[in-house]
Amino acid sequence: MSFAPRPAVQPWARVNKSRRAEILFASIMPSAIALALIAFGLDRNLTLVGVFLPIQVLAASVVGYRAFGRRGIGDAALLVIVFFLASFVLVLLASVVTSLVTQGSKALSWSFVTQNNIYVSNTTSLDYGGVGHAIVGTLMIVGLTTLVTVPLGIAMAVYLTQSQSKIKNLVRTLTQAISGLPSVVAGLFVLSMVLTFGWEKSGVMGSMALLPLMLPTVARVAEEALRLVPVDLRYAALALGAPNYRAFFQVILPAAKSGIITAMLLGVARIIGETAPLLLTVPINNGTSWNIFSGNIMTLPAYIYGYLSSLFSTSQNRAWGGAIVLMIIVAILFTTTRILSRPKSMKSKPTKQKASK
Amino acid sequence: MSDSSAPKTAPARRKLSAGPLSTGDKWFFRSTSVAAYSAFVLVAFILLFLFLQAAPAITSQGISFITGSTWDNTAEPIVMQIGPMIWGSILIGAVGVVIATPLAIALAYLIVYMLPNRLASLATNLVDLLAALPSVIIGLWGLFVFSPVAAEWGAALNAYLGWFPLFNVSSADNGFSGSPFIAGWIVAIMIVPIITSITREVFSQLDRDLINGALALGGSRLSTLRRVILPTSSGAIVGGVLLGLGRALGETVAIFYVLQLTFDFNWGQILEPKGGAVASMILAKFGEANASEVSGLMASGLVLFVITLIINFFASVIVNRAQPWRKN
Repeated sequence: MSFAPRPAVQPWARVNKSRRAEILFASIMPSAIALALIAFGLDRNLTLVGVFLPIQVLAASVVGYRAFGRRGIGDAALLVIVFFLASFVLVLLASVVTSLVTQGSKALSWSFVTQNNIYVSNTTSLDYGGVGHAIVGTLMIVGLTTLVTVPLGIAMAVYLTQSQSKIKNLVRTLTQAISGLPSVVAGLFVLSMVLTFGWEKSGVMGSMALLPLMLPTVARVAEEALRLVPVDLRYAALALGAPNYRAFFQVILPAAKSGIITAMLLGVARIIGETAPLLLTVPINNGTSWNIFSGNIMTLPAYIYGYLSSLFSTSQNRAWGGAIVLMIIVAILFTTTRILSRPKSMKSKPTKQKASK
Repeated sequence: MSDSSAPKTAPARRKLSAGPLSTGDKWFFRSTSVAAYSAFVLVAFILLFLFLQAAPAITSQGISFITGSTWDNTAEPIVMQIGPMIWGSILIGAVGVVIATPLAIALAYLIVYMLPNRLASLATNLVDLLAALPSVIIGLWGLFVFSPVAAEWGAALNAYLGWFPLFNVSSADNGFSGSPFIAGWIVAIMIVPIITSITREVFSQLDRDLINGALALGGSRLSTLRRVILPTSSGAIVGGVLLGLGRALGETVAIFYVLQLTFDFNWGQILEPKGGAVASMILAKFGEANASEVSGLMASGLVLFVITLIINFFASVIVNRAQPWRKN
């Protein structure tokens, strides 16, 4: 086989029409066969893995061989498998989002967002009761954590970017290691402090439990943001006679503003859905509470968790409703960070093109 | 810098108004150092307080706490042993990593080498969105949507590959739900973004000349991936996988409802609803735990913390070493 004359390989040649037809056929035919088999009642999982994937790999390999010779076979198989695996993840993500939207929209209404959970039983109609109290609690607890963590994280990032200390890399590694702290351990940690000192479980304890989970995210993203500021800016400020702290607050921090806000928002997104620490440290509440320093207070994750295992369909709907409210908050945070962290060159592109014309 | 302009006449010597030793700067650097050292303080505090509360359980149970497989709170003295849970966590983490790694590498390869820029940034955003999904939402979805589907997969695996010990079950009565296989899938979904982001970064920082050279020598996409891309980035990928494993071991709420907790060692029958996970066990036992059980849960948390800290620490060292451009 290895002595057979190779087909002429011209990677630079444009793909001609008949080749295009081949590619089209090879990409449609396997899906068509698989769909037909599923329509005839074959098990869909079996069809996908046992029929569709082998035929697709085979078809792509044949096209690859006809186009590029033997090396085309492996390429085509790689192409198919990479696309298959990647779209698999996409399908899982789409499944999460669509089930959230379809199930969550049943419960979602203005009263669901504003009312609290007093006098709500498993059979109460979805017109009454909601997650208002949980939104208030979540925002207050997460807000308190953010107030403490963001300055701490930024200070850490300053240390990591400016210090010449030898243990800097150790600090960075340890911070990264803490980012994998199991959330239930964070809860147990605060609970052990509560037990040791005889404190009372409350919203503040929840904030404390969230701190070690948020800190690494803020520190890492803020470090990257500070690193993007040209070091010449800092040197210029120092050369003009500014002390380091004024160089930081008046030059570096404004320049890295959007990155710092991104760090904050990503940190909030990281902790806003944390459940286990809050379950261990914050006593739940069906009413609205504005006091995080003592007494019971409800949070969105605890609300979802509480209704999740229920056998009543209205209660399950409440769990989905709480989940979509949480998801909307996360999505808002997420979109804001994307807009903020968009590279500046993209904004100035149109003017550049105009100038070149 | 010094050769930009030669001074004609030496200017009068001025007194420097600021220097590294000014009071403001001292406090500035001191406070940043304190913030940085808070990482050490945090780890020390977690170890200290967990140990303080776990001490009664550790002293009463001894080494069998992590090797035995009984939890009996009615016995006198109380018996608390979490061996199956630790092993179950490792098993679920292993299943998760085995599933997540190919998915993550495929995603990273697609994003960096195949998609046009616009689609690549869209795909990156989608992966980041997956990372941003709160675990309680994954748990909700896992319980109601994913678990039945994964049970189908488990049944199919058992039907066609049941002769393989890994996919063997003692009985199919339970409908293949509650198994480490399903929990492993859910954990995989949660760690795909972590491995993808690290792999993607190391792929995109790879020397393009290396790849172009391989292609110019007649290499194909496949051989370039196998012989050039994967070997040069394997360090970072291993680090990313370890980071994912650390995350997988600590996953709590996402797998809480889909995993059957039994105090029975599950030696690798991943479709059998047997075994458990430390984090889920802590949450499950916490509600009605008495004082000595709480101490046992603290000890479980301590074990989990030590395991994940070690894994994460080595993972971070590997990742940092494999990404030299991150150091300044």
